Amino acid sequence: MKKNYAITLLFLFGFLVSIPMYAQQTVKGKVTAQEDGEPLPGVSIVVQGSSTGTVTDLDGNYSIAVPGTESVLVYSFIGYETQNKIVGNSSEINISLSEDISQLGEVVVTALGITRDERSIGYSTQEVKGENLTYTKEQNVLGSLSGKVAGVQVTGSSGASMGGTQKIKIRGVNSISGGGEPLMVVDGTPISNSNFSGASGQDYGNLGQDINPDDIETINVLKGPAASALYGIRGQYGVIMITTKKGKKGSDVKVELSSAVFVDKVTNLMPYQNLYGGGSSQTWRTLPNGDKYVDMSVDESWGPKTDGTLVRQIMSFYPQDPTYEQLTPFQAYPDNIKDYYETGTNVNNGVTITGGGASSNFRVSLNDTRIQGVEPNTSLKRNNVGLGLGIDLTKKLRLTTNINYAANKGRRPGQGSEDGSRYLGQWFQRSMDMNRLKDYQYDDGTFLHWNLRRPSSSTGEITNYNPLYWANPYFLAYENFSDDNRDRFFGDVGVSYQIMPELKVSAFVRSDMYTQNINSRASFGGTGNPGYSVGKYQNTEMNYEVLAQYNKVWNKFSLDANVGGNLYDRNYSYLSMATVGGLTSPGFYNINASIDRPSTSSYQQKKQIKSAYAMVSLGYNNTYFVDASLRNDNSSTLPVDNNSYWYPSLSASWVFSELIKSETMTLGKLRLSYAQAGSDLSPYSTTSFFNVGSTYTGASTVNTLSVPDNLNNPNIKPSFAHSYEAGVDFKFYEGRVGLSFTYYNQRNENQILNLDVSGTSGFGSATINAGEIVNKGLELAITATPFRSEKFNWDVAFNLSRNRNEVVELYPGIDVYQYGSTTYSSTSSYLNSYVGKPFGSLVGQAYQRDEATGKILLGSNNMPLYTDATHDFGTVLPDFNGGFQNVLNYQNFQLAAMIDFQAGGQFFSRSKMLAVRTGLDPISAAINDNGMNVRDPLAEGGGVKVEGVSAETGEEVTAYVDAKAYYGVVARRIYEDWLYDASFIRLREVSLSYNFNKAQYAKLPVENVRVAFVGRNLAMLFQNAPKGINPAELSTGSQAIGWYESGQLPSVRSFGVNLNVTF
Amino acid sequence: MKKLNIMIITALLLVGCNNFEEDININPNVPSQASGTQLIANAMLSLSGLSSSPQGEFMSQYLSETQYVNASLYPQSSTSFYGWYQGPLMNLQTVLNAADELSGVEGPVSNQLAVAKILKSYYIWNLTDRWGDIPYTEALSGADNFTPAYDSQESIYTDLFNVLDEASSQIVPGSITNDIIYNGDMSKWSKLANTLKMLMALRLSEVNPTLGKEKFAAAVQSGVLASNSDNLVFRHLNDANNQNYWFSQLNQGREWWAISSTLMDKMKPVGDPRLMVYGNANRTDGDYTGLVFGETVDIDTEKYALLGDAITAQDAPVYLVTYAQVLFAQAEAAKLGWITGGDATAEENYTMAIEASMDQWGADTSMLADFMAQPEIAYSADMAIEQIATQRWVHLFMHGYEGWAEYRRTGYPNNMVAPGGAEVPNRQIYIETEQFNNTENYNEAVQRQFGGTESLYGKVWWDIN
Repeated sequence: MKKNYAITLLFLFGFLVSIPMYAQQTVKGKVTAQEDGEPLPGVSIVVQGSSTGTVTDLDGNYSIAVPGTESVLVYSFIGYETQNKIVGNSSEINISLSEDISQLGEVVVTALGITRDERSIGYSTQEVKGENLTYTKEQNVLGSLSGKVAGVQVTGSSGASMGGTQKIKIRGVNSISGGGEPLMVVDGTPISNSNFSGASGQDYGNLGQDINPDDIETINVLKGPAASALYGIRGQYGVIMITTKKGKKGSDVKVELSSAVFVDKVTNLMPYQNLYGGGSSQTWRTLPNGDKYVDMSVDESWGPKTDGTLVRQIMSFYPQDPTYEQLTPFQAYPDNIKDYYETGTNVNNGVTITGGGASSNFRVSLNDTRIQGVEPNTSLKRNNVGLGLGIDLTKKLRLTTNINYAANKGRRPGQGSEDGSRYLGQWFQRSMDMNRLKDYQYDDGTFLHWNLRRPSSSTGEITNYNPLYWANPYFLAYENFSDDNRDRFFGDVGVSYQIMPELKVSAFVRSDMYTQNINSRASFGGTGNPGYSVGKYQNTEMNYEVLAQYNKVWNKFSLDANVGGNLYDRNYSYLSMATVGGLTSPGFYNINASIDRPSTSSYQQKKQIKSAYAMVSLGYNNTYFVDASLRNDNSSTLPVDNNSYWYPSLSASWVFSELIKSETMTLGKLRLSYAQAGSDLSPYSTTSFFNVGSTYTGASTVNTLSVPDNLNNPNIKPSFAHSYEAGVDFKFYEGRVGLSFTYYNQRNENQILNLDVSGTSGFGSATINAGEIVNKGLELAITATPFRSEKFNWDVAFNLSRNRNEVVELYPGIDVYQYGSTTYSSTSSYLNSYVGKPFGSLVGQAYQRDEATGKILLGSNNMPLYTDATHDFGTVLPDFNGGFQNVLNYQNFQLAAMIDFQAGGQFFSRSKMLAVRTGLDPISAAINDNGMNVRDPLAEGGGVKVEGVSAETGEEVTAYVDAKAYYGVVARRIYEDWLYDASFIRLREVSLSYNFNKAQYAKLPVENVRVAFVGRNLAMLFQNAPKGINPAELSTGSQAIGWYESGQLPSVRSFGVNLNVTF
Repeated sequence: MKKLNIMIITALLLVGCNNFEEDININPNVPSQASGTQLIANAMLSLSGLSSSPQGEFMSQYLSETQYVNASLYPQSSTSFYGWYQGPLMNLQTVLNAADELSGVEGPVSNQLAVAKILKSYYIWNLTDRWGDIPYTEALSGADNFTPAYDSQESIYTDLFNVLDEASSQIVPGSITNDIIYNGDMSKWSKLANTLKMLMALRLSEVNPTLGKEKFAAAVQSGVLASNSDNLVFRHLNDANNQNYWFSQLNQGREWWAISSTLMDKMKPVGDPRLMVYGNANRTDGDYTGLVFGETVDIDTEKYALLGDAITAQDAPVYLVTYAQVLFAQAEAAKLGWITGGDATAEENYTMAIEASMDQWGADTSMLADFMAQPEIAYSADMAIEQIATQRWVHLFMHGYEGWAEYRRTGYPNNMVAPGGAEVPNRQIYIETEQFNNTENYNEAVQRQFGGTESLYGKVWWDIN
């Protein structure tokens, strides 16, 4: 087995070599599992080099005739490491087999938690081991899925958000409305993955992250309706199945401690120019006494040269400041934005205890995570407690429970161009010393701001110390923060009863409940009214489930049948309140302090789904398998007289390697499937209602009501997905090389859309069933062990997926669906979907071009002309994405590296556009081909060179125009210049670890110690987008599609040490 | 297998049939029934938005921007009218559609419907004057028509005259509740309906003077606003939930608007006492200095007269249809010969109009006689139309869209500027999403009015010179 071979050998097949037989003797014995000592039935025992063989019986016993004492017996069993034993003189050989880690995945967890032999499954699934997700301690563990599963696209957010949104899309965009998040299921319990963030502001992240990463045994992705059809109306967009670690019956108590300390650093900031400082003109403004001063009313850097001129800077206008009335040199602070960020830390401590008695097993876990963010005064504290318990009450009756608790407490930075410190990269003065802003409050309580109205032209004194457009970022961080916390329980209690060996029935009560609190404050002394808001959001989801499972094997047939029912019951409510008109006294943050009638709302929502389902799998000769399933769902959100729908699936698998009997090809399987799954809509969308408008308290109090902007639909149907899938799976050389290839075609019909309609109809949008969106794609997953020896192992995993999307149909008469828009300075860009094109075209203002030459058309002032906001720049969806993982083991060392990548896709960057517009970006102070700065006077050879065709004369023009005026048009009106390719190759994770175990280090007081040095988000190896903008972190809060970047949080690179001790 | 059957039955029992509690999909968080007057009241809350808009002030050059001044102050791209349809108009249409279900407890149903019709007409009139042809007869139909056709402005005017007559004539004794504007006084609603008809009739002075004259006379006959207490005014409150737009802007510290030189030049030389109300003295020398409209270079807000405290108070009222407008209209009509009395009636109404305006704005009228006696102000038969139009424009301060409409009709004031060559627009551009959502009708309307390409300078039907 020490042979070296390359992946190129994948399709080569070996030959059998036969060896002659000798005289016989008989060997008996018993085969057990090393883990729990239980007998293993069905283990194959072969005399090496012969075709003689047998299998163990139900009690693990076997008996085999062998040719002689030199014979070697080969014990092999799916999922276990093969063992060889020389017979010698023994007549009884008892063997215990250990689980083969490299072959895990042979048994997979499918819909409803039913475990199946992988070979019997007629659709694609892909599993990720928990340890693969947790060693980098990413705050939102779902982000660690990026690149690890073919067909799964994860759009992340910056580490600065501390658990910000990680958006998961399986097999492209399957919903014209852009939504379509997969269902998350933990140990059979569906859990909420909702999100309280908006497109800007604090990114609270998706709630799926409440699972303790250390508890995850595996994550299995059910990629499409074929796999998820048993989830019916909840399964249209696939399922993320998480299975947690469990204790084992009859094992010793094992304690495992893990500790990790990470340091977070901001990386990849945008470049800025440092030649010119704050102001709108290179001419100095002066005070009545003739002193030059920096124009504090301008939040741009089109000001004078940073040449050390002695000037009055903003601090010198504060009488409390030591530099009051003093002149100081006007200079650039190249690192002023970088200086704002701090070094973040992430300290993670966990302990787990596992074990089991004769008839019980348990696992308890605790985790404590404390994060200090890279933005000042931001933090996240998270605690997880988990308990998994199984008890055999009688021989037939078993009780199991999984209980998870998570507590989160966050103070998070705002994201989005106008939130928190995000304006710094867009509206700032290059001449502002960030370190001077840090002490944001003088002893007398006055806040120091940099952006004020100009001083009085008679006295030279500032008369209004309230900030003009932007407050001091430190003031925002320390006074205007937002706090959130969430308590969450989820888990299940279940009993199962083994009625007879073939038939088991079980019943579960499953629950997911959380309370989310969010409050935020705006202090006195900022840009707007002081204010305070609170929100409390509560959600309880219960699932009551029964399941009967019947397994029978007779002759060459196997039957696996399941019948079940489920009642889903969700209750959601919130209370939110906000002060109006200001607060009554500084420092008192309470709704009671509202000057005017506070705005309040209370809301409750109830939803039920009643389901029944059945699944049958029939196998023949362990080679041919056919599966069929059917689910019926009744959803309370659908119209009463039309709320029952059926979801069928059919799949088949053919393990052709059983027929070929090749030694090289351990597994060869062909699979085919067809399925339907669906999704419904939120409650109360089928009946009409009125909105409560504001109250007018004049002579009398008048309460008002209004017609909502969305028109509900009493005739809505659930959305349906029809999916076809075909694929092949290969394993070669006993699993050293694995290959899985899938083609799918998913047609989503009857989409439930809030379709934008002409507002002149009286409604801005209408809930309708319409449209069809099709995704076709290919998925390739390769695993290989290119090198394996006793000391050195090299494992590789590679995933690649390609998805093609088309919006086939919308609504009669309407051929555009607007997903979203973003507007700045009256100029909008849109994400539209057009019939006949892929989902999500970026639409906005482009250059007007000369038809003949394609050159830019110029107006009379030589400024570029632009189209209206209807130019289609093409889809934002990527062409390919995937990941590449390498794990090298040398003795006790392990080096692992993970790369994820995306090819294609695009986005609009407002950060870049505004940085140029406001004179922060280097191109706004570049040297033109006259060798002059573009900001130099035109007469002296300055200005931006413009080449194009005059719209009036039709003649080609080359001219130089004023830089500020030019970028005032181009970096405000012409979105064409600010669209970027979203391709990237990212070195996401690297870890180097060393394992000390007792076997090798006898003095070790514990069982095992593992030390790892870990780097996360280490480097962007390639990106087409400009430096400082991260195409992999476009999640923009809860927006389902990341298509523009606007005040993105800075990327964060993390380094840490991870220590694991097992007792 | 028997047990398996039992399980299946149990499962089905658990799931039960497809029945849920009856009200499970009824939204408990919002009312499913609305009273007519509460819907009307909500539509009233939007009235101030017809005036409170920087864009309107720029169209009429009342205010100059002190920040972010563009080479072109006018919106080259689209301006949305969706908010008006989805907001007040749909509320009013819902009342009109529910004529049979309205409750008499809130006042005579006939009066509720009359008020809904008057307000709907007023909104529609504003919209058509700003954009030109707009969806009207097929609009506000919800699911019955998501792509309403555009009606010509001429047909809209014709229909609005009828609807206003209908509304005025269906008013019966008895007040309605929840009336933010007139506190249920139906006689004032009746006067408003007739006044709207009168002002709309005057709009036709160029395009169809015959019809204009006929409708004008009929409106006056029916009874129009007779004092400032009849005015259509939206009274803001000292309450952030119902505060003046300009207050909310200035409260954020935005010194973004100064009195324009265009307006200053019509007021300061004649010592117009309204100037002290319209603007604040500048902070450099206490004088009133206008800012040239479209000025882009280094604007120090200290040097200019910014918006007056009375205009930007939290509870500053917004004047929409006023007695002074009625008097100016009658002065103009007399001069045009639409009503009898000639110059004498014109002068009388003109003088009363200025007095009513001074009264409305709370100007210091102690020197009013001197003010009126100045040659620029005193009625002159030769200059009458210009004087009336100019003084009406001064009066309409802060109701920018109306001031702009009257400018487009009359061509006065005569000192509007064209910064960087940008003339005062003739209309606003349709929201571009109409090109996606209502493509055929949009194209048809643009073809019909402007020959295929729309711009700020296409003319609406009544604007023929």
